[in-house]
Amino acid sequence: MSLLSIRNLSLSFNNFTALDNVSFDIAAGEIVGVVGESGSGKTLIALAAIGLLPENADVSGNVLFDGENILGLHEASLCKLRGDDIGMVFQEPMTALNPVQSIGEQVAECFIFHKGMNKIEARNAAIAILDRVGLPVNQFPFERFPHELSGGQRQRVVIAIACSLKPRLLIADEPTTALDVVLQAQILDLLKEISKENGSGLMLISHDLAVVASMADKIVILQSGKIVETGPTKQVLNNMLQPYTRQLATASTYKPARAPKATGEVLLKIVNVTRDYALPRKSLFAKPGSFRAVDDVSFEINQGEMVGLVGRSGCGKSTLARMILALDRPTSGSIEISGININKANKEELCKARRNMQIVFQDPYGSFNPRKTVEWLVTEPLHLLDQKPSREEARNLAKNVMVSVGLTEDTLERYPHQFSGGQRQRLAIARALITQPKFIVADEPVSALDVSIRAQVLDVFAELNANLGLACLFITHDLHVARAITDRVLVMSQGKIVEQGKTTQLLDNPQSDAAKELVMAAPDLIKVLAS
Amino acid sequence: MAQRQNGLLAKPRRDIFVQASGNPAFLVGLVFTLIIFAAGLVSLLWTPFDVSLVTISERLKTPSSSHWFGTDHFGRDILSMLMVGARNSIAVAFVAVGIGVVLGVPLGCWAAANGGLVDSVLMRANDVVFAFPALLSAVMITANFGPGAINAIIAIGIFNIPVFARVARAGAMSIWPRDFILAARAAGKNQMQITNQHIMPNIMHLLIVQGTIQFSLGVLAEASLSYLGLGAQPPQPSWGRMLAEAQTMMAIGPHTAVFPGLAIVVTVLGLNLMGDGLRDVLDPKMGQRK
Repeated sequence: MSLLSIRNLSLSFNNFTALDNVSFDIAAGEIVGVVGESGSGKTLIALAAIGLLPENADVSGNVLFDGENILGLHEASLCKLRGDDIGMVFQEPMTALNPVQSIGEQVAECFIFHKGMNKIEARNAAIAILDRVGLPVNQFPFERFPHELSGGQRQRVVIAIACSLKPRLLIADEPTTALDVVLQAQILDLLKEISKENGSGLMLISHDLAVVASMADKIVILQSGKIVETGPTKQVLNNMLQPYTRQLATASTYKPARAPKATGEVLLKIVNVTRDYALPRKSLFAKPGSFRAVDDVSFEINQGEMVGLVGRSGCGKSTLARMILALDRPTSGSIEISGININKANKEELCKARRNMQIVFQDPYGSFNPRKTVEWLVTEPLHLLDQKPSREEARNLAKNVMVSVGLTEDTLERYPHQFSGGQRQRLAIARALITQPKFIVADEPVSALDVSIRAQVLDVFAELNANLGLACLFITHDLHVARAITDRVLVMSQGKIVEQGKTTQLLDNPQSDAAKELVMAAPDLIKVLAS
Repeated sequence: MAQRQNGLLAKPRRDIFVQASGNPAFLVGLVFTLIIFAAGLVSLLWTPFDVSLVTISERLKTPSSSHWFGTDHFGRDILSMLMVGARNSIAVAFVAVGIGVVLGVPLGCWAAANGGLVDSVLMRANDVVFAFPALLSAVMITANFGPGAINAIIAIGIFNIPVFARVARAGAMSIWPRDFILAARAAGKNQMQITNQHIMPNIMHLLIVQGTIQFSLGVLAEASLSYLGLGAQPPQPSWGRMLAEAQTMMAIGPHTAVFPGLAIVVTVLGLNLMGDGLRDVLDPKMGQRK
């Protein structure tokens, strides 16, 4: 008999159907991957399985855990079930942990609460499980607080809590989305090992087909609340019977067709750039220490060249991007764009330099002021022109860029919240394009997007490169994206550029440790299916 | 998740009053406040009786059909005095809040935009002003420069500055690190332009709520000062002084104290309820908890 059995589960909110007749099983020791784009109802399945559905949901169907219907249980019996028999790992490890409790206490709490252990027993048990997830007590004392740990370490604590009582079912809702690829590989390995050790079932929810393909025994593909296809992972992904499955797979390995447009002319020249950040003083009289975020970086970008900057989170990619855009000053070194040294430039020269370079951010929700209309926001960089265009001219310019990123011109009156994530990212590109720059810095522009939308946004970049000869520094931790869109790749690690070269050559045959680590860790759908 | 975070910001302002109208606390507060404001406005054109008209024969009359709220120990009509007093209270509180906003908000925004030394110096100076008990210092100022409505306004206004500076700084500091500010900087906008165009629209809701609450505190402070004889001077009627004068008449004419007291309560309660209601509507963190 299966451990968790979801039978004809339907769910609606005010007549909006969120889940429609969903049925699948998870056996003990089995890893089931649930894949779908945002809004497909993945998380609702997880919430249903631990009995945490929102109160205003209309539910029908059964969620049987060990033969017992969870949907019919009272809160008290549910509380016993959660943690004890079902563990949950959330996406965002910072918000899943209590910031004012030490990690040890938070792990020990489950033992005290569910097993009735006394404090000393609970402490020992907590130390053992923290050691198991890779946080040995001599390096990570019991008394550490969540903010003293990195993202990956925090996620380990969350996993320790979820697994502390050896639950029979572990639910992981996008457990690695907030982490970089190397950490992602480590955390996925850990989840796999632990579920094997305890013989527990694992429901792995993800938007990333490649992640699920490498982990799961069985796969459930979800589209707007309906199961499109389900079955053993290999079988489903090799046969691709359903068009939606095929669409997901092609989108996640999507490469826009493009030919190199680079000319020999140097556009951006970075020489020995270093950036130090002061650390807080340890005592009143101690010299403040410093942290070197970017360490002696030099490279050039030619006109029309697409350059990828890859590296793990915290390696200094974003700091470098800010310095290039003159939003932050290097401690030493020089940055020149079209012959203007932006650190020595006067106000007019800087304006001129800024006209030639713009930025697109990662988070499409945070990159617009929610209180302004699209027209206002998109025309904002026109401020940089010597002669400010009239309202009418600005409007026409805005219309043109909107069309060039694939949005209709009648959207100018609207507010940013009326657009989806992918559309907002197009808006961000439109805003970057309005001054007709020669160069765009794109800081993880597709990381927050669903795979199908990611493909569309990559297309926009490829088109702009082909039609306008736009050069681009594409910051990403996703090697697929780097492969798809860039001519040349720079690999950054701990503030230094450790390797650079033609994209395919470098990624097929990495030389430095940092590059090897990235390539090894990157989930690769094609490789998984071939194996 | 991104969407939820964004909820802190993304709420177009035109919806605010539509949403607020569903909040009972806000509605009650709004009605109370409107009554007082209307009374103050009407008094500019018409009052039932002339407030400076002393009719000793009519003194200490209990409420009747001709004098709705009765008369005081000089035979002046209490309703008329309350109406003119409302005007006075509102004007003092309004200007005092204005002083706080006009000086405090730019200071707070400036501190948030620069950080570092500017921020430290400004905010410590703020703390110093904040550390004085506001009313006591207001007594000191009015005692020093002479009692009167103008000095009361200045005294109350000065102590509004740090309140608004803090609120503006806290709000602005949460907006500055956001991506759209970086985009604006990449578009070559300076601190001043960013503050006006990006920061202000996003902290306006904080300032509106704080303004409402400071307004009610201003009314209360004005009443306290004039109770002590340091506010508006006779013959101009004011609620605080009416209470002070009624104190000795409590035994023979309790209505002379009850009505000014009620007027103060209704105003302060109304503004506070309105402020609370607005905060519930504007602050999604409070809203979600329901």
